[in-house]
Amino acid sequence: MRLFRVTHRARALATVGATAGVVAGFATFSVATGAVGSGTSTPRAVFDVTHSPPLLTVSGEDAELVYDVHCAAPGVEDPEAGCDVAGTAFVRAGNETAFQAVPLLRDRSAGQMIARVPAALSEADAFEYYAELDSDMAESAITLPPGGPTAPTVSRRLGEAVPVVDLGRHPFGNARRAGERVAHASWGDGPANAGLEAGRNLGPIGASAFDVDTAGNVTILDHAHRRLLRWAKGGRSPSQVPVSINGTIADLAVSDDGSLYVLETTSRDGRTPLVRRFDDAGRELEAIESAERGPAQIRIGPDGPLVLQRPSHQWMPVSVGGIPASQAVQRRSARSGRTLRSGAEVVMLRQDRELRVALVARGSIARAWRVTSETPIGEVQLAEPVDGRFVVVLRVYDDRSDEFVILLLDRHGLVSRTTLDSSDWAETAPLGRFRVVGRSLYRLGSTPAGVFVERFDLEVR
Amino acid sequence: MTINRALVATFAVAFVLAYAGTATAYHTRFVSDNCNYASPTPTSYITRDGSATVALRARHEGYQWAGGCWNDNDRDDSPNDPTTDAGTGGEGGDCSGFTFKVWREALDTSDASYHQWGMLRYVHGPYTAAAFKAGSGAPNVTASKSSLIKMDALASDGHIGLIYAVNPDGSDQIIEAKGEAYGTNIWTRTYRGTSSYSGVRRTGWSS
Repeated sequence: MRLFRVTHRARALATVGATAGVVAGFATFSVATGAVGSGTSTPRAVFDVTHSPPLLTVSGEDAELVYDVHCAAPGVEDPEAGCDVAGTAFVRAGNETAFQAVPLLRDRSAGQMIARVPAALSEADAFEYYAELDSDMAESAITLPPGGPTAPTVSRRLGEAVPVVDLGRHPFGNARRAGERVAHASWGDGPANAGLEAGRNLGPIGASAFDVDTAGNVTILDHAHRRLLRWAKGGRSPSQVPVSINGTIADLAVSDDGSLYVLETTSRDGRTPLVRRFDDAGRELEAIESAERGPAQIRIGPDGPLVLQRPSHQWMPVSVGGIPASQAVQRRSARSGRTLRSGAEVVMLRQDRELRVALVARGSIARAWRVTSETPIGEVQLAEPVDGRFVVVLRVYDDRSDEFVILLLDRHGLVSRTTLDSSDWAETAPLGRFRVVGRSLYRLGSTPAGVFVERFDLEVR
Repeated sequence: MTINRALVATFAVAFVLAYAGTATAYHTRFVSDNCNYASPTPTSYITRDGSATVALRARHEGYQWAGGCWNDNDRDDSPNDPTTDAGTGGEGGDCSGFTFKVWREALDTSDASYHQWGMLRYVHGPYTAAAFKAGSGAPNVTASKSSLIKMDALASDGHIGLIYAVNPDGSDQIIEAKGEAYGTNIWTRTYRGTSSYSGVRRTGWSS
C-alpha cells in the first residue's frame, strides 16, 4: 500500500514534471526565436527619396535637380494610391552665402519632383544645394543631403579644356597576365582558409574586403569566419585575428596607426549599420553608428575613416582625430567627394557611357577628365592620384562579359590602359576590389578555388 | 529526495524533447500566426513607383527561403532561421518570391496581367531566380543590362534583385531579399556589371 502510494505520487509528480517541461520547452523556444505573433498587418507610411546628384556638369547641360519620390499613406495597401508631397530645393552659387529657394514641381507621370536651377547659378563654376521634402499624409519630412545648409551637395562645372579619353568599343578577351600573387587562401574552414557564407538561394559570398598597409602587409576580411587573415609582406601563410562582426558583407580600411575599421552593411531593427574599430590584436575599441541607411564604402581620409553614404552619396567622417563622430557630426561634415590623405578631394560622376572625374584642391577643380566608351561603363572601383598622375579602375560590361580597365591619366589625357579579367567569382563589398599603395595597385580576386590578392606595378615614373 | 530527482528528471527530459521537437518541426510560427491565403486583387495597371512602394514596405523585414509573407513593422520577426530549410515558417520572401510580389504577377505563368498580393498573403510564385534570369513566364523578358531602370531586375542563377536607384559611381542601389542574415533591404551592389547577372524586365508598366 505504501509502495502504491509512492508510485502514484511519483507518477503524479512525473506528469507534472513532464507537463511543465513541455510547456517550458515550447516557451523557451518561442522566446529564443522571437516567435511571438506580431499580428502587424497595417501598412505603415512609406516616404523615401533618391537623387542622383549632377556632381560634375559641362556647358550646355540642363541644370535640373531630379528627385525620385516614393510615398504612401499609412493604412493604405494599394501601392498606386501615392500621396501628396511638397518640396523645395535651396540653391546657391559656390561663392555665395544665401540659398535661393526653388520649388520642386511634381512630374506625376514619372513619379519625380524636379527643380530647375536658375541659369545664373548653374552657369557658375560651382553651385551648392539641398532639398527639403515633406508629406502630411506620410507624416514625415526628408532633408537631402541630411546636413542641409551646413553640408550641401556641390555641383561643379568642368571647363572646356578638360581632356576627353575615348575608350571606343572594348575588346573583351584580351586581359593582361595575372599580377604578382601576394596572398592566397583556399575556400574552406581551416585556419588558413577563407569562408563562404552558408545559405540557400545565395550566390557565393566570401572574403568581402581587403586592405594593404604602407609596408605591403595584406589583410583580408574573412567575414564568414568573423576574422581577419593577415599576410606579412612576402609571407606565404596568414595569421588569424578574430574580430567581433556580424558576419555579413562588410568593407575594411586599415589606418596608419594599425587600427582596423570594418564597415558593416546590415543592422537590426531599423538601426543604421556600424563602423567597428579594432586594434591589431582584434580587440574592439569602439562601434560607431553610421549616419545614413546605406553605407557603401570606407576609406582612410586625412583625419580618420570616411564612409560613402546612401542616399546622400556623400562621404562622411565617422571618427575625427580618433574621436568617434556622432551622426549629427557626420552629417554636418559631409563632402560630395572623397577627401584623400593629402586633403585633395576626388569627385566622380558616371552617366550612361561617360565617366567624369575631377581632383579638387582648395575648393577648385585642379585636374579633370572625361572618359567616354562605346561599351557600357559599370562601377568605378577606384580613382586616386599617384605620383602626379591619376589612376582610374572601372568595369566595362556587355550582356555576356565584363572586365576591369585600369586607366593611367595625366593632365593631357590617357597615358596607359590595361585590362584585367574580372576574377569575381565570389561576391565582396561592392566597391572594395582595388587599392593603391605607393606605386602598386592591388586587386582582391576570387575563383572557385579560393580568394587572392595580386599586385601590379603602375609604372608611373 | 528520490521524488524530487524524478520530478527534475522528467522535467528535464520533457523540456529537451519539447524544445528539440519544436526546433525540428518549425522555427517560428510567423506564417501560421500571421499569414493568409486570400485571393489577389486584379488591377488594371501597374506603375514602377507603385511597385517600389510594395518593395519598400518589405524593407527591414525578414528573409525566408521559399517564403513570401511579411508584415510592416521594420524588423525581422523570425531572425536566424536555418538557412537550408524552406519549411521553418519564418517572415519574409526569398529573392524570387519578393520579386514576384513586387512585380504583381500571377501564379499562372501564361498570365501577364496584374495581381496585387497583400503583404501577409503567403505566396512565393512559380519562379526561381534562374527562371527569372531566363525571362520565363508571360510577363517577363530578358533585357540589355545597360537599359535597365528602376524596378527592372538583375538576376543570376541563384539570386535576383531589383534596381532602386543608380549611384554616381556607376553602382546601383538594389532592393532585394538577400538572405537570412540580411533580410530585405536596399544595398549598393555591382550586379549590373557582373557577367553572372542578366537583365530582366517585367512588361506592361504604365509608367
